Amino acid sequence: MRIALFSDIHANLPALEAFFKSIEEQKPDAIYCLGDLVGYNIWPNEVINEVRKRGIPTIAGNYDQGIGLMSDECGCAYKTDTEKDMGKISISYTNSIVKPEERKYLRTLPAHIKVEFQLNEDKLNLLLVHGSPRKINEYLFEDRDEKSLLRIMEGADADIMCFGHTHKPYHRVLPTEVTESTHYRHAINIGSVGKPKDGNPQGGYVILTINADSSITKKDAVQVEFVRFNYDVEKAAKAVEESPLPNAYADMLRKGY
Amino acid sequence: MLLPNDYKYSKEHTWLKTLDHNQALVGITEFAQSELGEIVYVDLPQVGKQFKKDEVFGSVEAVKTTSDLFMPVSGEVVEINGALKEHAALVNSDSFTDGWMIKIQLLDATETDTLLEAQAYESLVS
Repeated sequence: MRIALFSDIHANLPALEAFFKSIEEQKPDAIYCLGDLVGYNIWPNEVINEVRKRGIPTIAGNYDQGIGLMSDECGCAYKTDTEKDMGKISISYTNSIVKPEERKYLRTLPAHIKVEFQLNEDKLNLLLVHGSPRKINEYLFEDRDEKSLLRIMEGADADIMCFGHTHKPYHRVLPTEVTESTHYRHAINIGSVGKPKDGNPQGGYVILTINADSSITKKDAVQVEFVRFNYDVEKAAKAVEESPLPNAYADMLRKGY
Repeated sequence: MLLPNDYKYSKEHTWLKTLDHNQALVGITEFAQSELGEIVYVDLPQVGKQFKKDEVFGSVEAVKTTSDLFMPVSGEVVEINGALKEHAALVNSDSFTDGWMIKIQLLDATETDTLLEAQAYESLVS
């Protein structure tokens, strides 16, 4: 089974449209969205409706939660005062343009999705979260201590944990020694469709392949493909510049940071 | 900033409150918790473990980052704050009181003289 996982579209409609084109070619068996549909770009309603009309199972991101609750706080960890000021403009602008029906949709999104496979003698649990199982806005970067990642995954009974939020994709295989065998857990950050921050301005998502013989005792139990696709970055960047949003967000789209 | 005068402070932003019988409580300062932001987990050592001054005795996991915890002085862990397991946010709300992390038996009481007084620590972080 091939599963497409995408997140962090952040109101970037050209990126979302290009993602759907890429998906038409990939023809996955299932699609899940890991949240943060809105914020930082000018098309929050359009993005919500494009995801919604396809009936794609979607969980809430921290930005969706903030806008769903009409809050002035998105749970984002801005480091500098400039970033904080820009963030305030973005959430205030997004709150001003999101329509009631779309806001209601954001407010009712679930926090997690758990998919349990029973392929062999053992279970294989796939957990989908936005930030982490314990906090919607927790940043799990690639350099997170292995012990910490394992504790988080064991606590949530997750063999494969997929998440977004940092906009920087990675896949880490985490071995644990148990009685007479080794269990392999997978922590997968799926990147961002509409606001990548890994230096590559292309949109990104993941195709996760679960095989009939997939098992937690096999290191290569699952295949993770990081797909990157081109989209009309200029269209999104210019739209930012012509909106009340800070121009810096356009530069970030062009350069992928 | 709220800085108890009867505590001592390390440059790594831990505090030490001396108790009777050569024991002391250790936690992180108000400044440290505010820099870290919302704390979601505190990884503490097992009772009985000994650490030298400046050695890492645990770590704090906050929403935006993680940080190691450094021993202000050498000591043996005699108790850990069990409340933090379920309520790590106590470190945010009550960093100098209910958010204490470990109780230690001092291995060299003279080391406490190397720590900063409240005023000196305040100048360090202001």
